[in-house]
Amino acid sequence: MELLKPLFESGRIDFQGQDLAGSLATALLALSATVSLGVGFLQKTLSMTFYVYAIGVLLTYLVVLPAWPFFKRNQVNWLPRRTIGAPALVDSPNQPLSRKTLVEDVSDDNDE
Amino acid sequence: MYNFLQRLSGITSFAMSTLMALAVVIALTTPFIPSSPSHTLTLQNVQTTTGRMVDPFDKQSRSAEYARLTFDLDADLTSMLNWNTKLLFAYLTVDYMTDEFNTNSVVIWDRIIRNERQARLKLRRHHNKYLLRNFAKTFEGVSPANLTLYVNPVPYLGIMYDKPLTSVGFQIPRPVKSSK
Repeated sequence: MELLKPLFESGRIDFQGQDLAGSLATALLALSATVSLGVGFLQKTLSMTFYVYAIGVLLTYLVVLPAWPFFKRNQVNWLPRRTIGAPALVDSPNQPLSRKTLVEDVSDDNDE
Repeated sequence: MYNFLQRLSGITSFAMSTLMALAVVIALTTPFIPSSPSHTLTLQNVQTTTGRMVDPFDKQSRSAEYARLTFDLDADLTSMLNWNTKLLFAYLTVDYMTDEFNTNSVVIWDRIIRNERQARLKLRRHHNKYLLRNFAKTFEGVSPANLTLYVNPVPYLGIMYDKPLTSVGFQIPRPVKSSK
């Protein structure tokens, strides 16, 4: 599983891209459902409906699943990392960050 | 939706929900498809005899009155075959009332129709496929009967129902006692 981890964690897109991917997927699936209903009814074959719908789902996968460039247009500009003060302990204000800390204290109470 | 697997999971589950909605829409709109089957049912003859089922393993069979119908049936059921029809189940029943039971409905003939060629029924002087025998083993005191043609369209997606098409009234005769 460790070998597959890079594959599963790939395809990151930014937040605007995620909104766009969700809306696009919803619209494309609704569209393929409607189109497949029409095609099947006109062809008088029920199986045609489900084959066309399956093709529509595959097309949706093609459009939304890979991390296309238009999903990555609004990258978030994270602020640069700055030095963090120790948690507020009365007796030792400059205690270095312990390795056992699970959550970093990012409050700026102790800065300057 | 921030990585490939998240998008795959979310979109696939929405696709399955949409598929279910599609199936529900198909099932709900099927009864509104218009169908106009043509049908002519003629009853030529009914005769009743007293007999016993010939079964060497049934030592308790008693003699009973069995009625035999001869009928003609002309029907064109092709308009009932829409995109959501798996098959049509056409059957003839004899309905009558007795003192003992309010409703007696005996299926005497049936046929499964799968395509357009089979949907054009042209039966001449057919007999009943199944025995017509009253529960009380005799047809004495039985009300006038109706021979009714029902068609049950079995859909791929949706609910089955029985559709009565036509009906012919007749009287089930008593057996003629022949002196030999």
